[in-house]
Amino acid sequence: MKKSSAEAAIQGANPKPNAFRQFLAQWDLQLLVLPGIILLFIFSYLPIYGVVMAFQEYKIGDVVGASQWVGFRWFIELFKTRELPGIIRNTLVISILNLTIGFVMPIIFAIFLNELRVAPIKKTVQTISYLPHFISWTVCALLLFDLLGTDGSLTEMLVTLHILPEKVNFFQKGEWFWGVALISNIWKELGWNAIIYVSAIAGIDAEMYEAADIDGATRAQKMWHITVKSIKPTIILLLIMNVGGVLNANFDQIMMLTKQMTNSFLTPYAQVIDTYSYRMGLALMRFSYGSAVGLLKSVINFILLLTANKIADLAGETALV
Amino acid sequence: MAAAKVKPTKMKTKKVFSDYVISVTIFIVMTVVFVTTLYPFLNSLAISLNAASDTVRGGITIYPRQFTIDNYKNIFTNEKIYRAYGVTIARTVIGTIGGLLVTGAMSFALSRKTLVFRRFYTIMCLIPMYFGGGLIPTYIITRSLGLVNNFWVYIIPSLVNIWNMILMRSYFAGVPDALEESARIDGASYFTVFFRIFWPVSTPIIATIALYFGVQHWNDWYVPTIYMIGREDLKPMTCVLLSIINEAAYAERMAAAGASAEAIGHAAQGVKTVNSRSITMATMIVSIIPIIAIYPFLQRYFIKGIMIGSIKG
Repeated sequence: MKKSSAEAAIQGANPKPNAFRQFLAQWDLQLLVLPGIILLFIFSYLPIYGVVMAFQEYKIGDVVGASQWVGFRWFIELFKTRELPGIIRNTLVISILNLTIGFVMPIIFAIFLNELRVAPIKKTVQTISYLPHFISWTVCALLLFDLLGTDGSLTEMLVTLHILPEKVNFFQKGEWFWGVALISNIWKELGWNAIIYVSAIAGIDAEMYEAADIDGATRAQKMWHITVKSIKPTIILLLIMNVGGVLNANFDQIMMLTKQMTNSFLTPYAQVIDTYSYRMGLALMRFSYGSAVGLLKSVINFILLLTANKIADLAGETALV
Repeated sequence: MAAAKVKPTKMKTKKVFSDYVISVTIFIVMTVVFVTTLYPFLNSLAISLNAASDTVRGGITIYPRQFTIDNYKNIFTNEKIYRAYGVTIARTVIGTIGGLLVTGAMSFALSRKTLVFRRFYTIMCLIPMYFGGGLIPTYIITRSLGLVNNFWVYIIPSLVNIWNMILMRSYFAGVPDALEESARIDGASYFTVFFRIFWPVSTPIIATIALYFGVQHWNDWYVPTIYMIGREDLKPMTCVLLSIINEAAYAERMAAAGASAEAIGHAAQGVKTVNSRSITMATMIVSIIPIIAIYPFLQRYFIKGIMIGSIKG
C-alpha cells in the first residue's frame, strides 16, 4: 500500500518527462494511431471550429473563421422564416416516430424470432430480414415508388382489402409522408437492428425459462418477465446511442423519397432541418446561413439527448423497484 | 410451437388461451416480414427479366411471364453504366482496404493499455459521435482541402469510422496479451505485432468491418451528391441509376406524347421494346447484385462482430 502510493506520488509529481520518454520509446505504436487521429482532427474537429461561420459572413475564398463578424444576424433571419415552424415540426415528428415506434419494432421482432422453435425457419426469416439493410435508399425509394404508386401492387392490395377506398399515389399525399417515412425505415432496418437483441436474448440463462415452466407461467408472462426484463440494459444503451444520430439518419431517405425535394406534394411535410440546411447552404450557396441552420440542429440534438437520458434514468428507477 | 418442446419436467404446463394468441400473432408477424421483405425484390427481378411489351399489361408477380434478357442488354448499351460501375468498384475496393488499414491500426493501438495518451485519444474519438460541425462547415473544410470534384473525397474522409473503430478495438482487446508479449520480447515492432500476429487471428472482426465499409461505399449517395456536383464522370452507380431511369422515363413520355423519332433523338433508341419500369428494375438489380450475393455468406461474421460490440460497448 505505502509503496504503491509513494510510486503514484512520484509519477503524479513528475509525469511529463516520463510520458514523453515512453512516447518516444513506443513511436511505432503511436505511428499506428496517429493517421486516424489526424484524419479525425481534420474531418471532425475542424468542422466544429467551422461553426463560427454561422456568426460571420462567409464568402467563397475566405479563410474559415476570418470572415466579417455579423453576430446573430443569420439566426434572427432564420427565426423570422415562415417555413421554420414546419421544418422543426417535421424534424421532431419524424425523429420521435423513429425513436419510439421505429425503436420498439426490432425489439418485438427479436423476441418473436426467439419464440420460433424450428431452427431452419428462424434462420431463413432472419437472413431475409437483413436484406433491405444492404440496399441503398436510392434503390429502396425506387421500390417504394413502384409499390405505392397509383398502380402499385401494394396500393392495389390495400384497395382489394378495402383498407383504401380507391387507388391513390402515396407520394402525392403529403399528410401520409410521415407514415411512409416511418414504415419504410422500419422495413429497411428491422432485421438488422434486431441482431443485437437476438444475441442479447441468446445470452439469457435457459434455466430461468425452465423454472418459469415449473411455476406454470404462461408464454406471455415468460416473454415479458424473462426476455424483456433481461435485455432491458441493452435496450436502454441502444436508445441512448440512437438518439445521438437520429437527426442525421434521415437525410438520404427523405431526399430520395421526395425526389431531392422536387416533389411539391411532400415538401411541407418532408422538409427537415438537414434538407433545409442543404438547400440554403449548398444549392443556394448561402454558406453562413446554412451553417446557422445546422447549428440549430445540433441544439435540438442535444435536447433530445438529455431527454433520452432522463427517460433512461426513469426506466432505471422502475427496474430497481 | 411450444408443444414441440418436450421437456422432462414433472409438471406439464397447460396451454392457456393467451399462448395460442401469441402463437398466431408470431406466425402472422413473421409471415408479413418475410413476404414484405422478399416480394419487392422478387417482383423487381421478375419484371427485369420479363419482356417490356408484356410488362405493360401488368400483373407480373414473382416470376417472368415472357422471359428475356433484353432489358439487361439494353441498359448495357448505355456507356454511363460501365463508368459508374467502375467508379463504384474502385471506391469500394480502395475505401474498404484503406478503411481497414487506418481504422484497424488505430483500433489496435487504442486497445493497448501501454499506449501513452490513450485516454486523450479515446475521448477525442468519442466526442464526434455526439457533436459535429454540420453539413456546411464540413463542406467548406473539405472544399478548402481541394477534395470537391476529386475522386479522393470518396476515400479520405471515410478512412476513419469511429463506430467500426470501437468494434475492432473491443475485439483486439480480447486477444490474449501473451501473443503480444512474446513477440515484443523477441524484439518485434508494434507494426509486426499488428500485421503479423493480430491481423491473422482476427478474421471475424475484419470480415465484419470489411462488410461495413464495403456496404457504406457501395451504397453511398450522399458524398457524390454533395461533393461531386461538377463531375458526372466520377458519379457512382447510385447517382447514375437515377439518371438512367430519368432518361428512360423521359424517352417513354416523349414516345407516349407521339413526338417524332427525330425529335427524341438519342434518348428514344430502343424505346419500342422497353418501358421505363423494365429499365428501372434491371438497372436496380444490376446495382444491388454484388451486395446481395455476398452478405448471406458473411452473416455469421457480422452477427459475431455486432455481439462483440454490444458486450463491450
